[in-house]
Amino acid sequence: MKRLLPSLRPRKRYLAIELISNAEPSRGEFSREIYFAACSLLGDAAVSECDLKVLGFEAGLGIIQCAHTKLSETRAALAALTQVNRKKAAVHVLGVSGTIKGATEKFLEGRTAFKIKAEHLN
Amino acid sequence: MAKRKFYDFGIRPAPEGENSPLELATLAKHLGYSGLALVPHSDKLIPENFLKSAEVDLEGFELLRGLELVEANPSKLHGLIGKFRKKVDILAVHGGSEKINRAAVENSKVDVLNHPFAEKGRGLNQVLAKAAGENDVAIGLSLSPLLYSRGFWRVRLLSAYRATLELARKYEVALLLSSDAASCFDLRAPREMAAFAQLFGMEEAEALEALSTVPDKILARKRLSAGSIRPGVEVLNNFEEGELL
Repeated sequence: MKRLLPSLRPRKRYLAIELISNAEPSRGEFSREIYFAACSLLGDAAVSECDLKVLGFEAGLGIIQCAHTKLSETRAALAALTQVNRKKAAVHVLGVSGTIKGATEKFLEGRTAFKIKAEHLN
Repeated sequence: MAKRKFYDFGIRPAPEGENSPLELATLAKHLGYSGLALVPHSDKLIPENFLKSAEVDLEGFELLRGLELVEANPSKLHGLIGKFRKKVDILAVHGGSEKINRAAVENSKVDVLNHPFAEKGRGLNQVLAKAAGENDVAIGLSLSPLLYSRGFWRVRLLSAYRATLELARKYEVALLLSSDAASCFDLRAPREMAAFAQLFGMEEAEALEALSTVPDKILARKRLSAGSIRPGVEVLNNFEEGELL
């Protein structure tokens, strides 16, 4: 099969994110929580249009893919996340890029996720 | 264009919330805010040294003293407003009933009327919105109830916000987006707040304005009032003689 030209592929946005939480979820767990929050806020049909995917997630930092026209909906869905693995959590979007490479290089490299001071963990 | 300064005027620190002012401020700074206003729900929830501890310098980050008045009796509310106006930077009123909403929007000493949504009905109406516009009282829309409710309740809240937005546009009422955060995990970055506000019909520019320009104006008014005698008359302390001539 001939590959689709890059200019004909659906356009994406890649959000570099950090998870502010005491929980340390795996990619799957994090992804499930994101979908749960998104579906509850936007509805299943709207989320399907967002083309939402957690591409990578490790040590509180990750990359989330979405359709380029649905950026604000995706941001809102990420904001709607309040817990992961029954522990309180919040997602902070560090930056948005049109390529995975851009998102990684600009926003993720050399960074560690923000930690709330240990003595005040809930 | 100068970089926007974002503020969150709805922070409830410990003992009412879970985190200390400093922790909230550290996280807020990380998220890209330029300042927070701590608005505990009662003056009794301000510990003795709260007002002092709130003046921690975080390299350009502003931590403002505020208070959200909770009172069911309008005439008592006016009394409380007079009592606390000079003591705090940001004076908010916890809305709810029609009477209290009305007392708050008709008193120009009030900065913000927070969550004016009554148990039944829409909360704000055209009369209140008009008064709020005339008296320069901002209407506060808070995010955390939206985060923590689901289904029916969230739907109802979103439509209440939508109705408020319509009225605010019509009567040129300032809207203020705030987190109403009781813990660090309730804070969201300004862009996320704006994205959430777009869900109930705000334009992106409007939402960013509600996070930066509106609080900025409230602050400017506060700074101005330090030396002001009445609208238009102000005491100037340090000007050279002949400068004004």
